[in-house]
Amino acid sequence: MDLRQKRYADTVVLSPVGRIDHSTSEGFKAALAPYMARCAVGLDRVLLDFVSVEYISSVGLRVLMLASKQAKTQGGSLGVAALQPAVKEIFDISRFTMVLDVFPSVREGLARLSPPALAAFDAG
Amino acid sequence: MYWSERLWVRVLRGRRGQPLGVLLLAIVLGVGLVPDIFGLGLVRLAGFDAYQRWAPRIRRSAPAIIVAIDEESLRRHGQWPWPRTWLARLVARLAEARPAAIGIDLVMPEADRLSPGRLPEFVPGMGKDLVHRLSSLPSNDVVLAQALSGRPVVLGVAGLERDVGRTGRALRQAPVRAFGGDPRLFALRFEGTLRSVEEVDREARGHGLLNVEPERGVVRRMPLVAGAADAVLPAFGVEMLRVATGAPVLTVRVGASGIEGVGINDLLIPTESDGSVRVRFARHDPSRFVSAADVLSGTAELHLFERKLVLIGVTALGLSDYQATPVAERMSGVEIHAQLLESIFDGDLLSRPRAAAWAEAGVLIAAGLLLVLAVPRLPARTSVALFVLVIGAMGAGGFLLYLHRGVLFDAALPSLGLGVLFTSVLVVTLAEAESQRRALRRSLEQQREQAARVAGELEAARRIQMSSLPQPTTAFPGDTPLDLYAFLEPAREVGGDLYDFFALDHDRVFFLIGDVSGKGLPGSLFMAVSKALYKSVALRQARPVEAVMREANAEISRENTGGLFVTMLAGILDTRTGLLEYCNAGHEPPYLLPSGARPLLRLMDGGGPPLCAVDCFPYAASSRRLEPGDTLCLVTDGVTEAVSPGAALYGRNRLEALLMQVGRAASASEVGDAIRREVERFTDGVEPSDDMAILVVRWKGPASATGR
Repeated sequence: MDLRQKRYADTVVLSPVGRIDHSTSEGFKAALAPYMARCAVGLDRVLLDFVSVEYISSVGLRVLMLASKQAKTQGGSLGVAALQPAVKEIFDISRFTMVLDVFPSVREGLARLSPPALAAFDAG
Repeated sequence: MYWSERLWVRVLRGRRGQPLGVLLLAIVLGVGLVPDIFGLGLVRLAGFDAYQRWAPRIRRSAPAIIVAIDEESLRRHGQWPWPRTWLARLVARLAEARPAAIGIDLVMPEADRLSPGRLPEFVPGMGKDLVHRLSSLPSNDVVLAQALSGRPVVLGVAGLERDVGRTGRALRQAPVRAFGGDPRLFALRFEGTLRSVEEVDREARGHGLLNVEPERGVVRRMPLVAGAADAVLPAFGVEMLRVATGAPVLTVRVGASGIEGVGINDLLIPTESDGSVRVRFARHDPSRFVSAADVLSGTAELHLFERKLVLIGVTALGLSDYQATPVAERMSGVEIHAQLLESIFDGDLLSRPRAAAWAEAGVLIAAGLLLVLAVPRLPARTSVALFVLVIGAMGAGGFLLYLHRGVLFDAALPSLGLGVLFTSVLVVTLAEAESQRRALRRSLEQQREQAARVAGELEAARRIQMSSLPQPTTAFPGDTPLDLYAFLEPAREVGGDLYDFFALDHDRVFFLIGDVSGKGLPGSLFMAVSKALYKSVALRQARPVEAVMREANAEISRENTGGLFVTMLAGILDTRTGLLEYCNAGHEPPYLLPSGARPLLRLMDGGGPPLCAVDCFPYAASSRRLEPGDTLCLVTDGVTEAVSPGAALYGRNRLEALLMQVGRAASASEVGDAIRREVERFTDGVEPSDDMAILVVRWKGPASATGR
């Protein structure tokens, strides 16, 4: 799975596209790995822009769970923003809103994660 | 088997027999280059003979004619040997026709016993007078000598393996002159010669060697010159040509590697290095022959012999020397001499240039490499066709060279070599293919066996998993305040969905449904661990459901090395009061199908994320008091996300509609079965992609509880 990437100051915004299910989750995990490696205290913050994600299965949620655990271990920040209604419902039902920080939009996510990133976002 | 043996067998057979093929090709080449090893020269000769049998020489000119002392001659004139006076008459009669030369294919080493002076030996009682008169007559040999005198006659000389003591008697200086070297170093060599009696021999104008030298029983080559004692003797036919042309001497050209040719005046006949030529034979032809009897009786037409090379020879079957030739099993010696003359005259001798052997080696290498490279890559049938094509092309090429150039190119021996090569490579290739097929079959069998074993093990795992799930009828037998339905169907043999229920004490029942974020064997293992841990935590001491959830989260997380998570909905129902406490860890919210007129409820509240997702999460519980007849319906996403053939999801709305349709009075089994049937109808044979579990709990009310 390709991840579109945009950087705002110390925050990387990654945009997966399509469905994250048993057939794409391994690719999603692999694409995410290098960014998660740098998602640590003093390094990068990562915000996943889910505006183009149509569906996420439990296998995909597992990737997010592992990423969140890694971020927590490394002292980094990981957030998810702009969920589609269907994906929002999956997050609600599975209570993954309690596993990750979920923001209504990328801008709000940036605002919470890193003020410099918000400044860069607004400037750009 | 030793490793070394295995190694070289592997090397030779490896790469589909190509190393073996190259090795064989080298051996075939080596064998082919050694002259006549293992009698293989016979194959080459047989090939050359075949050319001549298929296309014998066509007689273009008829320079030679044979006066044959044949059966007819013996019948008319009596037994052989005739008195030499008759031979003298024959020569004299032929001489009248002015032939170019007369060759007598005979050796007369002893005096004629039929001379008049010797008659008294056979006829006793002759008078002294008669004996005296007879002895005063000239001997037959003298008569023959007179007949030869002054005429272009060549007499035969026989070369002998041993000197019989007669050689020196009449060894005339042969009219041969050599240029460039001593021909005797290279030529066929005889230790002695056998010649006619002196008085006859000296009157002949030429003397030629009669020997034909069969090669393995067949006359193919004839020496044009040979060494005899110290002299160099010309062959009978060559000497006739010299006498016919009136040349004073024969010249022999000698080079560094042997004799190059024999010359008569301006004519140079190229020879092999030993001074021999390869005769291209024509078929036996009766028109070459005139019976001696006809010559003697004067019935033969004399102009037949005019300016011809006339050979006198014995052909009567009982007497004569017959030799095998490439074109005939038996051919009289005199006809062979005539054939040599015809061949020389028509310039139709065969040659085998030194380059021919190299050309053969080159063709063998090229064709051999072609076969070695191609056969392992081609189907067997195509290989055979290619081989036939190669052999055919070689044979045709050799034959055309013979036909149009008189060059002997050996296709037979290389063909034999290629045959050995082709057969070996083909056999190895086929064996290799067969062993590959066998290996493939073996590995297929192994795969099948393994698959069967795995399937067997999975089937056993499935039985274990399914039997670890409680059944409502056996868990709560008899009349109970609870009506339970439970169903679980893994997408594969085993799966990651789970449910459980058991009594905590007299009144309270614990139940749960869950879904491991994984399927198949890994999911099922984690499902088993989760279920066991959860039950042990729940039974350890009486605690509220949220406390059980928190401790289960800690314990299950400890066992979770695979990074999975489990959604779980756990509840405790007090069957006496109908108080339901529940805690949802990221699972599908349960449905409450009320008995009264209240609407269908989805219990969204309470709980937290799936187990193992967040360490030490402070799960909170919710509670609700059920009315008698209320039904709780719990499912996993195998139900809500069941997929139809059109790739649609079953979805929450369909499930809710179904639950309302089934009705509030339905039993747990009726509700559960309805869901199963509906999902089955919806998926319509599509392979389920996820495990599916259904748990239906219906509280009948406190009245039933008293009955326990």
